[in-house]
Parts: sequence; structure tokens; C-alpha cells
Amino acid sequence: MDQFNKRHETIISAGIDIGTSTTKLIISRFSLMNVAGTTHVPRIEIVDKEILYKSPVFRTPLLDASTIDTQGVERIVRSQYEEAGVTPSQIETGAVIITGETATKRNASEMIHHLSHEAGDFLVATAGPDLEGIIAAKGSGAYDYSAKSGKVIANIDIGGGTANMAVYKDKKLLGTCTMHIGGRLIEFQNGRVSSISPPVERLLAEQGWRLRVGDSADSPAVQQVTNFMADSLARIVSHDVASEDQVLLLGHTPSWQDHVDAIVFSGGVSECMYQHELGQVQVAEYDDIGVRLAEALKRNNRLQSFDWLEPVETVRATVLGAGTQTTEISGATIQVAPHELPLKNIPIYQHDFMFDLRKGLDLFDSAISEAIALYDSTREGQNFALYISNLPYMGFRDIQTLSQAIIRLMEKRPDPAQPIILIIQSDHAKVIGQTLVAMNVQQSVICVDQINVETGDYIDIGKALDSGVVPVVVKTLTFHTS
Amino acid sequence: MNEQLIEQITKMVVEKLQETKGLSETRKSDETMPVNLFAEAPVGRAVTVENPEADPAGAVTFHRTAEQKQPSAAPSQMTAAEACKKHDTKKQSDGKETELAELRKKTPARVGVGRAGSRPKTKTWLQFRLDHAAAVDAVYGEVPDELLSRLDLFQVHSRVADKEEYIRRPDLGRRLSDESKQTVMEKCKKGPTVQIVASNGLSAKAIEENLEDVYLSLEQSLRNLNIDMGTTFYVDKGRVALMDEIGEMLQPDVVVMLIGERPGLVSAESLSAYLCYQPRIGTIEADRMVISNIHKGGIPPVEAGAYLGTVIQKVLKYEASGVSLVNKEG
Repeated sequence: MDQFNKRHETIISAGIDIGTSTTKLIISRFSLMNVAGTTHVPRIEIVDKEILYKSPVFRTPLLDASTIDTQGVERIVRSQYEEAGVTPSQIETGAVIITGETATKRNASEMIHHLSHEAGDFLVATAGPDLEGIIAAKGSGAYDYSAKSGKVIANIDIGGGTANMAVYKDKKLLGTCTMHIGGRLIEFQNGRVSSISPPVERLLAEQGWRLRVGDSADSPAVQQVTNFMADSLARIVSHDVASEDQVLLLGHTPSWQDHVDAIVFSGGVSECMYQHELGQVQVAEYDDIGVRLAEALKRNNRLQSFDWLEPVETVRATVLGAGTQTTEISGATIQVAPHELPLKNIPIYQHDFMFDLRKGLDLFDSAISEAIALYDSTREGQNFALYISNLPYMGFRDIQTLSQAIIRLMEKRPDPAQPIILIIQSDHAKVIGQTLVAMNVQQSVICVDQINVETGDYIDIGKALDSGVVPVVVKTLTFHTS
Repeated sequence: MNEQLIEQITKMVVEKLQETKGLSETRKSDETMPVNLFAEAPVGRAVTVENPEADPAGAVTFHRTAEQKQPSAAPSQMTAAEACKKHDTKKQSDGKETELAELRKKTPARVGVGRAGSRPKTKTWLQFRLDHAAAVDAVYGEVPDELLSRLDLFQVHSRVADKEEYIRRPDLGRRLSDESKQTVMEKCKKGPTVQIVASNGLSAKAIEENLEDVYLSLEQSLRNLNIDMGTTFYVDKGRVALMDEIGEMLQPDVVVMLIGERPGLVSAESLSAYLCYQPRIGTIEADRMVISNIHKGGIPPVEAGAYLGTVIQKVLKYEASGVSLVNKEG
């Protein structure tokens, strides 16, 4: 029977991580296969991920303190593509992620969109501290550990600028938190302090410690800062936030409620703990507090009370996550207008039917108005994707009723000619898409299913693959606590 | 005996059992019993083992029929450490219970339902009997005429006289009766691209529940794809290979046979769609293909109908079905 299922399809994925200190790239190949039985409707899944190329770790090129050297980054990417033997047109999926302090640079957004356009057919631009933590947790192996062990696992990715935490249990995200803890927050030159980042300046002022540019790198204040960072991190992981920790928090307080069993460190600072990259080519030399911060974390008693698990990747966790863990595959029975793809950065609006078609339809009008108000308040024609969840059991006549409502409501959009983008939670995309077409809908229809999203997420939908599915990247830019 | 009466009695017994157990399960869940194909949670604590009294006072003596490892030590000998351990096991068994609940979510099979001694619990056993009865009913049930007239399908018959013969003589289910042949030749369009045939097969329930949604969705899908459709009809007590004779008679390019599947204990209302490119008498089984498991808990019927359209499109493109299609597709 196996021979019917053996038809593999492969796609090439790229991950590019532009961090505070370092930039790296990864090229991998996904194998897609129909995993459903021969008598079932096909179900296409990614069955294998093979890393084709890992770039060395580069210094992130900057023009000055607040500007990224876009051309420099592009040069790195092009040279590495060449090294890996791929061209941008071969890259069918993947993500560019801009992380840590780099995301706050003046030209960050412009740079990342430019790069996602230049470096691949369907390369998704991503940013945001919560997303960084999530992607790093997937790359470090913490996400997988959480399923194997059933424990609550916190992944702590500490790079040059920020520490991004994501807490998982059984592959379910429980919460995230981001802190100003990183190797590059104090830099040295010739044994002297050469720069102190603003959050650390604030911390010094609050605590009354004295450290200035030009001071000796061995000043006791440096030690005080790294120790404080380790203590503060331990408090955050334990969900025991003290008032003095506020200065290091970036954004919200920890959003998980559970007791953390085990911790995994990833990111550049964890490399100082585990030395995975030892003996590999040109690991950039850093003259900053990274090594001392790693020491302080290892010495910290409170952190020692957790189980420590070694990451599968240290400094490359985020790039590995971006390159291999961001792509999802849609259901196999879908309806897409090929000429409209790929679609990028489409905001999601969720309408929950609560298993009752009548009630759901009654609230449908106000839901669409709300979606328009939310994403296109100035009525400039920003399209959105409608996520239809919790549909009841649907007969054909129910599908027709629903489709009619969709057509009617989509006309209300400021620019009704835009494609209708639907994401259906249950396996109904093909029939709803077909029904819309049968009703002579004027717009193009993109109707996919079996993707989990919610209001506030953004989605990128790639071109249809040979097996009829589309690759999808969901970007959770904001974290919702339930 | 009257079938409804049996169902009523079974329901009553199940209700009584639950009431006496004093569990917080509402009667509502009892009312939904007949369609509740498998219990979502076992009643009571699922993994407890009810041990017979170690020292029965009566005249009856219990013998161990299976070898057991070290029966538990007398309670008086329990040390503090053991008490602690016992506390742990309680924690562990809670953990196990959530783990079991996880497993149960993943399969409709009857896993983690517990046991009483060496046999299933009464609730489990009754549920099993109920599901089995539903399966039997599905085989012996009839498709309501109202459904056929709503979909504007006419009815013909295979050569089978009754259900008993249908089960004993598959060969007769693969041929139309002489009278039916005549009706088909009179009423049906000749040489259509796609001929759809429905039959109760081994589950009338499957047709009753799913035919309308699959059929309307498939019809729409074919219309969207501009594929020409013949005159659909319904065959009472047909078999899959009946499509060969129909292919011979009407000369369609593709026959789609929507037929009730042999019922199982998970679902008694599962429908299959068999497809074949130019089936004729003597067509080999390898040239047929099937989309199975079409029902509420499997592939939604509306989605299956929509998907069938694209499968038919592929069959027409490659002018082959089944293994031949796989070979041609490369």
C-alpha cells in the first residue's frame, strides 16, 4: 500500500535572524507527504526537515547606533545563498526575524520588508519580542521537550539586547515575557567600559551604583549589574516580580500563571554556558558582559532550583526556529485563486459561531463592521482575513446560507473588489469556496482551513504547491492571555 | 421483540445505573445516548480495580484465577515512608487520569474505560451492546422515500429479493433486476460524462444522514467545473460492482457510487464514494477508487462532495482511476 503514498514534494525554506549583536542564516528543505490513508481525503504534512546550510555567525552590520546597514545585511544574505548554492527564487517559504535591540532601529521595518522581498519568493517578515521568544523556544528544543516530558518549560533566549522568555507545557504556549537582559548592554574596549545602554543606565541610577563610560571593565558595578540581572530573571521565572524589576521589563509582566519546572537557556549568552560552537568557523569575538552574565546565571541559587535542560541550539535557536518552525501547511481540500498568491501581512479577524449557525449569523454583521473598524478605520482598503471558528455540523443548505451572508457582508468593505480571504477552522474550505464561486461571487476567493489563528494575528499565505496545499505562516504579534 | 422497546429498556437500565451511582451526570447526557457513539468520559474513576474482599466471611471462597504479584501488605505494617509513597501514588494516579483523558480525546476507540474484575463495567458493556445494535439496525434499515423524492431520484432494485439474500449472495447485488434495467434505460441520459448512483449497501442510515449533503455539494462542484452529469438514481440493495453493469448500459466516462459502508461500532452511518473510469463488466477491483469515512465524525459530507469534484476532474484528465491513475500520474 505504501507505494501510493510515496510521492514526496520538497520545498526550500530560509530563516534569517538579524539580532542585536549577530546575524545568521539557515537553509533547510522540507519534505511534504500525504499522510492520510489511500481511501481518505489527503492530508499533507511536513514529514521531514533537513538542514542544508548553516551560515557562520556574523556581526550585525550597523551604519551608526540607530541605523542598520541594509546593504551590509543584504551582502551577507547574498553571499550565504551563494555559499549554500541557492537563489532567492528557490526559497519558497521561511521567515526573516529582526530581534532584540535591532528591532528598535530607525530603519528596522523598512529593512526587513525589503529583505523579505529580495531574499525569497515567500519569505515572511516578522518582529516582536513575544514572537522572538516563541520562535527561539521552538529552535532550542524547549517546545519539543515540553511535549515529551509533560513539564512546564521556560525557554530563556538571551542575546545581545534582550532576554525573551516563552513558557510551554505540552506544546501549548502558556505565556511570554521580555526583559532588558543581554550581553551587549554594557560593552568594553581595551579593558574599559565603552558603552552603557539606556535600560542599564536607569538600573544604575535606581540602585545607586556608579558606573560610567571609561571606567575599568573590572569595576564592581559590572558584577552588581550582572548579578542583579540573574536575580531579576529568577524572580520573573518564578512569577515573583519585585518593584525593582520593572526597570528591566520590556512590555508586559510574565503572562503565564503556572509553576515552571524546568528552564532552557538559548541565545548568544547560552553559548557562553554550553560552547556548542567551539571550534567552528569565525565565531565573532565580543567584548561585553555576555560571558560574565552567563557566569552570574550559572551561579544563581534560585535559578539552580529549576531543572536545567541543555538546548539543541544555543546562539542559533532563533534562526533555526525561524527557518524550520514557522511554516504550516493548510488543509488539502481548499479553494484558492492562484493569481492572488502570495498574500502577505493579512490581519485576522475571528468570528466565533459558538456551534450555532443562527446565532453566529445574527452577530455576523456587527462582526464584519468591527473588523473593518479595527483594521481599516481610515477606510483606505486594508483587507483582512475572516477566521470562522466553531461552526456547528453543517449541511449543504447551511453552507449556502453562510456563503450568502459572506458575500453580502464582504460587499461592505471599503474596497469590495479585494479578494475574499477566509480561514475556516473545520474542514469546510473547499465546499464554502466552491459555493461562493457557484454563487458567481465577483471577487477572487482564498479559502483555506485547518489553520489555528485568532484576532490580532497576521497571516501570510504562499503560492499553492503541487499537492494543492498552501504554506502558511502565522505571526502572533501580540500575546493573548486566556 | 419490538426494537424501540429494547432501546427504551436499555436506556432505562443505563439511567438507573447512573442514578444509583449518584454521579453528577445530568439526564441530558442520557437523552443524547442513542447518538452518543462513544462515551466521552468513563463513568466514575476509570482506572480503579475493584478487588474482591480479601477475606470473605460467607461460605463462598474466592480463588485467584490469575497469577498475581505480591498482594498488598497488611495496612498495619505501613511505614511513614510508605505512607508518603502512597500520597505520591495518589498524585500519580491523578496525573494518569489526565493522561488517559488526553488519550481518549485522540481516538473514538474504547480506551481507558476501566474494568470491574476481569470484565468490562456495566455501562461500558451496555454502550457496546447499544452500538452493536445500532450497527445491526443500519444494515436492516430502509432509506425513507421522502429523501429520494426530495432529491428527485427514482428507485430501482438489484436482483436480490431480501436482506438475508443480499448478505448471502453478493453476486446478485451486483446486477440489476430485468425490470430495473428497463427503467434505467428508459429514464437515464445515455453517455454522460459522470453517472452518479446511490445505494443503501450495508447501511441505510449512511444514505439517510449523508446522501443529501454529499450529492448537492458534488452536483455543485461538477457544475462549477463544467462537467456534464447523467440522471442520478437510487438502487435498493446494491453492491459496489453494480457500477460495472451500469457502465455497460449507459456508457458514462465515470461512475460515482455513493454507498453505505458496513457499519462498525464507532459509526453506523459512514458513507463511501466509489469511483471508476469507464467501468464495464469484468473491470478489475484495482481500477476502482474510494473516498471512505464520510460522516459526521469523519470527513464532513459537504466537504467530501466538493472534494469528489476535483477527484473526478483528475480521473477525466488522466482517463484512468485506481492503481492505473496512480501509475499515470507518476
